[in-house]
Amino acid sequence: MRRIIAQAKKELTQLVRDRLAVALALLLPVVLLLLQTTAISLTVKDLPIIVQNLDQSEASRDLVDRFRQSLSFHVVSWPADRQPDEAFTANKARGALIIPEEFGRQIARGENATVQMLVDASDENTAQIIAGDSAQIVRAYNLENVGASHPQPVIAAIRLWYNPSRSSQRFYGPGIYVLAMSLFPPLLATLAMSKEGEQKTILQVYVSNISAHEFLLGKIAAFMIVALTESAVMMGILFLGFGLRFAGDPTPFLVATLFYVFCVTTFGNMLGAAIPSQVAAMQAVALTGFLLVYMLSGLLFPIENIPAGIRWISNFVWGRYYIVVVRDALLSGGGWPSVGFDVLAIAAIGSFFYMIAWRNLRRMQLKD
Amino acid sequence: MKPVKRLIDKLRALVTYRMRALILKEFRQILRDKRLAMSLILPPTLQLLVFGFALNATVSNLKLGIVDDSRTPESRELIANMTQSGSFQNGGTFFSINDMSKKIASGKLDGGLVIPYDYARDLQRGTPVTVQVLLNAMNSNTATIGQGYAQGVIASYNQTLAAGGLHAKFQQIASSDVSHRGAVLLDPAYLYNPGLESTWFVVTGILGVLLILNGSLISAAAIVKEREAGTLEQLLMSPASTTQIIVAKLFPLFALLCMMGLMAIGIMRIVFGIPFRGNVFLVMAAAALCLLCGIGIGTFIATFTKSARQAQLTLFFVNPPLTSLSGAFTPVEAMPKWLQPAAQFNPIQHFGMISRGAMLKGSGIETLWPNFLVLLAFTLVLVSLSIWRFRKQLS
Repeated sequence: MRRIIAQAKKELTQLVRDRLAVALALLLPVVLLLLQTTAISLTVKDLPIIVQNLDQSEASRDLVDRFRQSLSFHVVSWPADRQPDEAFTANKARGALIIPEEFGRQIARGENATVQMLVDASDENTAQIIAGDSAQIVRAYNLENVGASHPQPVIAAIRLWYNPSRSSQRFYGPGIYVLAMSLFPPLLATLAMSKEGEQKTILQVYVSNISAHEFLLGKIAAFMIVALTESAVMMGILFLGFGLRFAGDPTPFLVATLFYVFCVTTFGNMLGAAIPSQVAAMQAVALTGFLLVYMLSGLLFPIENIPAGIRWISNFVWGRYYIVVVRDALLSGGGWPSVGFDVLAIAAIGSFFYMIAWRNLRRMQLKD
Repeated sequence: MKPVKRLIDKLRALVTYRMRALILKEFRQILRDKRLAMSLILPPTLQLLVFGFALNATVSNLKLGIVDDSRTPESRELIANMTQSGSFQNGGTFFSINDMSKKIASGKLDGGLVIPYDYARDLQRGTPVTVQVLLNAMNSNTATIGQGYAQGVIASYNQTLAAGGLHAKFQQIASSDVSHRGAVLLDPAYLYNPGLESTWFVVTGILGVLLILNGSLISAAAIVKEREAGTLEQLLMSPASTTQIIVAKLFPLFALLCMMGLMAIGIMRIVFGIPFRGNVFLVMAAAALCLLCGIGIGTFIATFTKSARQAQLTLFFVNPPLTSLSGAFTPVEAMPKWLQPAAQFNPIQHFGMISRGAMLKGSGIETLWPNFLVLLAFTLVLVSLSIWRFRKQLS
């Protein structure tokens, strides 16, 4: 035990001496969390659209006003003699509402009139939102103007649970937190471990009487302390800056964080022990840690959308389980019954990493 | 004519035997370094594939739990309408809302549909009836699009109801109205991407990220390496001028990275089926500028650092913010208003405009020239800054 503590102390001292690494450990996660949580969102608002009103009747102007009033769009002017898709190629507008001639007369006669919404679908998600929002505006217009003649037999009362304001920060904030936790602690751990191999100080460890378990646990403990500090700082930002709170029982989150911190630092140590070059080990962590966790854990985009051929990989991605626990703790509050399995999965993957790292080091001798 | 002649003379002096020898040396050095050569091919390909396949925000097949208190043909018709649409799928029937909400909380369901016990009775009477649609809004995007889907399904269901069939009562009410006005029907048309392929947006944006990311990483690694090995002094002692050394250093990197860019564009065409509606040379020209930006960033940082480790760590401070403010993964319009101007100072954003414009929309240089101009300005500034720093170090 004493040796573990000594080893951990030595690691922390070494880390504090490296100013660039300290900045990476404490400053970068904070900057990224603030920046990405504010910047990443798919829910577009206030999109520029153009209106080509070929009718100029009272009814058509009324409809255009509805579009003008909505928060989803703002109408930009566009000369009537130019094609609307020129506005799309010039990136001046994302949609074009086209009201045909005779629109007002058709409505007054009691016929249904069709208006067209051209949507720039080069961004598929935004296109869907434009189509959905404009359909809602038209529906509201119909309800008010022709409500009596076209009764709505079934009315959908839509309730949005857990995030009624549809704030994307509440969804992406926890995701970015998990991403930062999956990237920076293992990066620091791997740097420290591969440095021993690169500068051959590992030989000093081999000739000392410290055992492989003690050496590894000391290293892991040191970076777990760093990672827990990072976690505390980032959670503070999520709570104070983005107004998130624990939605239910916080104990699964606390236990899972402890396991996860163990899991990622062990992952870093494992790679560092296997690759005795700092730059290469760093690239390996960045590539696997970042790519796997960022892409395949459901942080930003649903796992169900990944093609089945590579989706199974996500079952082995540690971040996938932690993100479930974090979102549950901060948004839906299901507690132990809903996330118990995920906590165990994190612990299992962490122990697996530990085993591999230990196998690499157990002989405490240079490889032949 | 004199300055032009002088410039030509200068260029001619640059392309000498010495220069060619230096360039050859750099090529050999890069290709001999297996890791560097591999990092030219493996990460970009992997990133493009994984990003393209995994970054998919499409909302479909939302699992909807169902609480049907009515248990009538009418309610089952509504359920069938909802769950057969491709937007939603039946996630199971529940006897109470509490059971269902537990499943929604644990993430097993994406939402729920609650039909009241008097649903069929009200419909037959001709009274409007409210059904409840619950959506898990943790993911705000899923909620926004799911809401649109639900409204759409209900609206088209209402139209079939009003048209007659099971519920003739509504038609009577509708036709008895005296002040009869027509309704507005909205007909959305999706230009450029009628199949709503979500990969098209992501992949065209990622290309810019890849070019800057790999350009900066690889050039930083190549330049720091010479310093770490202490061979920079040997180069200085050779009769080559500093300009020749710099150009010889950067040119092979640029050439190899261009090949990587070409490969990435090929993957986009073959694997993801991106249509090349405009001039593909526009994209290539923009990609070359983007690569030079990346090389500029990498070289600039390399001149400040003493080791490859330091250079890589420093790049961690540059590349992620650059990527997240680029509009490559998510639309710039979704950023907060005050942050949107920041994207204009990002070469990746301008490259994205060019690649999306030229590949998806078929725009030509006449609409894309402002983006080209900005990209060119970035390139000139970054490259000359890095050459200046490099030169200062050499002398």
